[in-house]
Amino acid sequence: MTTTSTSLLTGYRPRLGVHDEMVTHDGVVREHWRDVTGALELLGPRDLAQRQHEIARQLADDGVSYHVHGRPDSSTRWQLDALPLVVESEEWTRIESGVIQRSELLDLVLADLYGPRDLLQRGLLPPEVVFGHPGFLRAVDGVAVPGPATLVTLAVDLVRDADGGVVVLADRAQSPSGAGYALQNRLVLSRVFPSLYRSLQVHRLAPFFRSLRAALQAAAPAGVDEPRIVILSPGPANETAFEHALLASTLGYSLVEGGDLVAQHGRVWLRTLDQLAPVDVILRRVDAAWCDPLELRGDSQLGVPGLVEAIREGTLAVVNPLGSGVVENPALHAFLPRLATALLGQDLRLPSVRTVWCGESDGLREVTARLDDLVLKPIARGGGPASIVGGNLTAAERSALLARISAHPHRWVGQEYVEVGAVPTFVGGELVPRRSVLRTFAVAREGSFTVMPGGLTRVASDDEPLVANQAGAHSKDTWVLASEPESVAAYWLRPGRSEPVSPTGTMSARAAENLFWLGRYAERAEGLVRLLRVVEERRTDLSSAATADPAGALTLRTLLRTLGQVTGMATLGWDDQPTMLPDDTIRRLMADRSTPGTLAHDLHRLDEAAKVVRDQLSVDTWTVLTALERELDEAPRQRGLADDLLSRGRLGRILTSLLALQGLAAESMIRDPGWRFMDAGRRLERALHVVTLLRTVALDDHGTAADSLLYESVLTASESIVTYRRRYRSRAQLATMLDLLLLDPTNPRSVAHQLDRLTVDLQALPGHPGTGRASAAERPVLDAVTALRLADTARLADLATPDGADRDGAVPSELESLLNTLQQRLRAASDTVGAAHFHHRKPQRGVAIGGVDGSMAEWDGEAT
Amino acid sequence: MTAYRVTHRTRYRYAEEVAASYGLAHLLPRDTPGQVCRSARLDVVPTPDLVRERTDFFGNRALHFSLHEPHVELAVTATSVVEVTGTAPDLRVLAQRPWEDVRDTVRAGTDAALLDARTFVLDSPLVRSSARLRDWGATSFRPGRPVVEAVVDLCGRIHHDFTFEPGATDVSTTAEELLDDGRGVCQDFAHLMVGCLRSLGLPARYVSGYLETRPPPGEPRLQGSDVSHAWASIHLPVVGWFDLDPTNDLVVGDQHITTAWGRDYADVTPLKGVIFTDGTTEELAVEVDVVRAAVT
Repeated sequence: MTTTSTSLLTGYRPRLGVHDEMVTHDGVVREHWRDVTGALELLGPRDLAQRQHEIARQLADDGVSYHVHGRPDSSTRWQLDALPLVVESEEWTRIESGVIQRSELLDLVLADLYGPRDLLQRGLLPPEVVFGHPGFLRAVDGVAVPGPATLVTLAVDLVRDADGGVVVLADRAQSPSGAGYALQNRLVLSRVFPSLYRSLQVHRLAPFFRSLRAALQAAAPAGVDEPRIVILSPGPANETAFEHALLASTLGYSLVEGGDLVAQHGRVWLRTLDQLAPVDVILRRVDAAWCDPLELRGDSQLGVPGLVEAIREGTLAVVNPLGSGVVENPALHAFLPRLATALLGQDLRLPSVRTVWCGESDGLREVTARLDDLVLKPIARGGGPASIVGGNLTAAERSALLARISAHPHRWVGQEYVEVGAVPTFVGGELVPRRSVLRTFAVAREGSFTVMPGGLTRVASDDEPLVANQAGAHSKDTWVLASEPESVAAYWLRPGRSEPVSPTGTMSARAAENLFWLGRYAERAEGLVRLLRVVEERRTDLSSAATADPAGALTLRTLLRTLGQVTGMATLGWDDQPTMLPDDTIRRLMADRSTPGTLAHDLHRLDEAAKVVRDQLSVDTWTVLTALERELDEAPRQRGLADDLLSRGRLGRILTSLLALQGLAAESMIRDPGWRFMDAGRRLERALHVVTLLRTVALDDHGTAADSLLYESVLTASESIVTYRRRYRSRAQLATMLDLLLLDPTNPRSVAHQLDRLTVDLQALPGHPGTGRASAAERPVLDAVTALRLADTARLADLATPDGADRDGAVPSELESLLNTLQQRLRAASDTVGAAHFHHRKPQRGVAIGGVDGSMAEWDGEAT
Repeated sequence: MTAYRVTHRTRYRYAEEVAASYGLAHLLPRDTPGQVCRSARLDVVPTPDLVRERTDFFGNRALHFSLHEPHVELAVTATSVVEVTGTAPDLRVLAQRPWEDVRDTVRAGTDAALLDARTFVLDSPLVRSSARLRDWGATSFRPGRPVVEAVVDLCGRIHHDFTFEPGATDVSTTAEELLDDGRGVCQDFAHLMVGCLRSLGLPARYVSGYLETRPPPGEPRLQGSDVSHAWASIHLPVVGWFDLDPTNDLVVGDQHITTAWGRDYADVTPLKGVIFTDGTTEELAVEVDVVRAAVT
């Protein structure tokens, strides 16, 4: 083992002229890395590769994703390197103090820019740096921000220069992302290296999130003791949607979208299941300009009209405050040293990368003269490249860039090229140096700021000279070593005001709707998998005999027709070869996510619904959903026989996952209204499925032999065959089957059982009129219950048999009537639940009138 | 001094019921060095749940209203009485000062007025400076030309070179598009003028208001025949803001009533809103009356 182990380290070649985190330029491992390198030597490359694989598996199981910007459909798995970045205690103290100072400074700057603007009057900051930056929002000028801090959270991106000095590359104040990913990285890495992690005394991250909670509480408008706090997300398609949900569940707040909120009477309210609940604090992950289509970007569908007015009324705090993006302007770097002197009477502890602003003639002159040595950046992100390396430009590009800069000089800065430092990264079985950026996070606390002891380290994905902005998907955990053991108890038992419990009843109507559909799609998928399994079994059993045995052929044909009914797929042509499903049908069933009725569609919708309510579900849910997604992803790639897609193994794996979901729902979820909706969805779907099976199989006479096979198939597809055999010990017959599948309330698969459960669920929903009275959704269920209670198995079976002389085709049999009634009432119940609880906001439209001739522009969601 | 009573009615009729409506109005005239607003009110039907007036970033009167009563019609009426002295700034102090001088003074300005003026050289949502606008404006702004003469010339050229044609443009039409098409309304002409001035490095803003129209001699004034209006303003050191109306080739005087000003139309849209409805806006009617009132 030792023979291979040393190769990891001895093979490591730091990059020349680049600061390396792990080894000095003499090739000696730095003191604070020795525990980690010691562990690496023990592990060796093969074991490390295994751990790396385990990391990937855990991240996948937890459903950790990061969407690539501009490609909302792509869900990229989050990448975490096996090696953490190790930071020693003393150095961290310096970084921390620098980040705190910077936060305090930017907090004062931000407060001034939306207040007295002394900095401009005193000539400390040119007006173009403020008013020429899109982050400055005139709509919130002069609006007081409640709470002790103006800037509540800040992220500061740090790099090492060639000498190992720490410099600030950028500040993120709009709605800084990454803290949640840092937490997730820690969860995974500490699980994969438990003993190393424990032995090293690494600072814990949890206290930071507690501080964040406290900061959000403190940000609430005056007089609000138990603020209702929500996290506003652009939705599951956002690039950092995973983090929004993680924060919501970690902090215990509702995850909402713009459509869940409404402004009325100068307040913002959350549409919960049965009422409007006032919202006091919004932690926003929507960029400020998109937060209010009335006063800010009119084309935004992500915001809440009237939100800005609620802030002005003083009833709502938004964190970070709208307009905070202005302090992200990199041109500020050029002015921060003198601002620190003027506002804090201090020198800047953490220098920014040397920056010149082209809005000043000296700056423009320098940029023009030294373009080759500099990195050029527009002051605002969005559109175009975030940075341009002057030295890489051709002569033509160079003059084009200079022309652009001189047309709008205040929009550009030139920054000194930094030879960004590198950190060992495990790539392709060996350690290689990769350049890295450390994002640190600060949150306001008691008149100052507190910094997450750690952060999100992002590494370049290849030999890039810079770490691209979108390289967010390659990351490292950041281990800040504690100088002495941390006392966990001391942290939790910190004296002072105990934090109020967050008010209940904050589930949004949208979350409830998605849970309902989660239940429906999970059950729909399960029903379909079971049916497919039965179809496959029958095909195997009967294929050889099918042509010879008419009963066998009829059975298969009928089952295929049932499959057609359940999936809504045309069955044309299926009859020709009753032992075969057409290949393209199988492929569509298993791989076509866009066609309703296919298994792929059901599973995809299940996944989508789950993502919307990610914060409501246990973490284990993602292990299950990831497994389902894997099956789904493989289906279109599968070559060879389409039949293999329906292999017993694959269907079994899918079924196992679906059953695991059921288990989680039954054993790991609190019985709150959200669970009730999910369960109601499941019950409705299961009852409808049984009714559909019976309608296609039980209404016609196929002859005793075929019927018996068919009934057995339906019983199997309904997971009731074992009970049936034990109870009746006979060939499957209609009356007994109907008894078990329709009327027997003790059979958890029967329609009667679903109706019982559904009734309990509906009675537990908010807004129920109370014991003894039925809600609107309950009424059709009651009808269905009554119809079932009045039914008589013998008569149902009798009328459906050919011997029953009454059956002439025109008059429906009693069974057919019953099944029709059940289907209709169940559908009515579903519709009523939706109408009563799931608020569907009418489409949002903007209206403006032109200046002189009353010309009108109207838009709905299109960019104007 | 002239006193005016201004009535500005806007009526929407919607195809489907509107569940909620949020509005932001810049319809009540502000005070300016050349006018005093004696009274002003905004009436909204149906009655809003919330009406709030505030002073916006530019010192204008902005009104927010919202209502949640389902409705198919919304009427917004602004009524005001404004006394206009129409005092144009005293331009003599500028005498023959070349425009480049003004540009450089503004660029280096550090007092409160010039710090404010500097921000009006920057781009705004609807007006982006460009080489093309600069070149178009440079015909008036020849090197060394006195600034007042140059800006009056620019105003006249816009009036002569373009055709006033309602409906030819919409709120998103850019100054460049106007140069291409040659037709537009007052808002487009104001934007073009603002864009040319900014492209030359001069501070310019957009002014929204009304213009008294006079019927031909002997004919009665037709009710509702007036419209809201827009023009441009340039900041001149010492003198202050100097308003010119490129639509009518006028230096703004006592026939112009100012409502609000900003960087461009987007800052001072007379009335804009967000509604929640399944349908569209079926009909929009705007009526403006500007009539002389007794000076109180």
